Amino acid sequence: MSLRGHHPSTNVLVETASFLVVRLGVSYVALPADGVRGVLTREEAGSEQSVTAAGTVYQPVDLAQRLSVLADLSGLEMRTVLYSNGRSQGAICVEQVVGLTDVARKDCLPLPPQFQRDERNWFAGMMLYQDQLVLILNSSWALGELDDLVPASVGQAELMIAATPATVGGSC
Amino acid sequence: MFSVGGVKLAARTEDVGGVSPWTESIPVPSRTPFVQAMLKRGNQVMPVYDLASRLGSPVQGDLLLCLEARHLDGPMAICIDADVPSLETVDAAAIRPNDREDIETLGTVTIGGKDVAIVAMQRLGRSRQDAVRS
Repeated sequence: MSLRGHHPSTNVLVETASFLVVRLGVSYVALPADGVRGVLTREEAGSEQSVTAAGTVYQPVDLAQRLSVLADLSGLEMRTVLYSNGRSQGAICVEQVVGLTDVARKDCLPLPPQFQRDERNWFAGMMLYQDQLVLILNSSWALGELDDLVPASVGQAELMIAATPATVGGSC
Repeated sequence: MFSVGGVKLAARTEDVGGVSPWTESIPVPSRTPFVQAMLKRGNQVMPVYDLASRLGSPVQGDLLLCLEARHLDGPMAICIDADVPSLETVDAAAIRPNDREDIETLGTVTIGGKDVAIVAMQRLGRSRQDAVRS
């Protein structure tokens, strides 16, 4: 169930970051791969709402609904991604698992500052993968840890951008 | 001068990065009004500002165009009508203030007998953001 051969990259000096790229409707989303605990088919996930694996209960996360994205989760390529960031866990249904990729941190770009509302909490940045624009998911938000967070205001967003190396890449 | 939904608008030439054929934009989950997509050109991506929706005037024509606005936050793509923009020279003294609240403008100028709003490309969307936030 685990992604064999994948090793979590926690060292900030590491030049690349690993992502599991998934699709929800027309949106491509990247999940930091070090949080992926498994990828299940519909049959493997079972019919229960939550999924229990290796003694851990993964509560369902309706990412499509949270992002207000239209996704068809009835297809054969639908998968449930078991995800944990060490503090929270979730079973995330996606329309398709596109692939696993390593991205140079300099190629992780910040979300343009014109995006100014909740989406700044939803996404840590963006990148290109197989010629597709892929949005890098903020796993803390996806797992419900930032639900009470006030969206960054224009000024805050500008400060955040100015204060991080993200403006020259490195949003991951 | 360019048009969106048949409505003639103007922009300062220094606020426009270029005009090119419109290509399909990529929807981005977003709650920012009128900023809900991005445009990809090679390895470059830029946010799309949906000026047509803001004006309530769907763009017209088959071969739509992309106007690249030099926004203060970075380049921004705007889908405009298929009518090829024209270059007009106006006297700065002829620009009059207006009280439009539906869009950020630098004022109004009369061109060809018609009043045309000059869109403030550099701060497009900012007053809307402020209004939404307050």
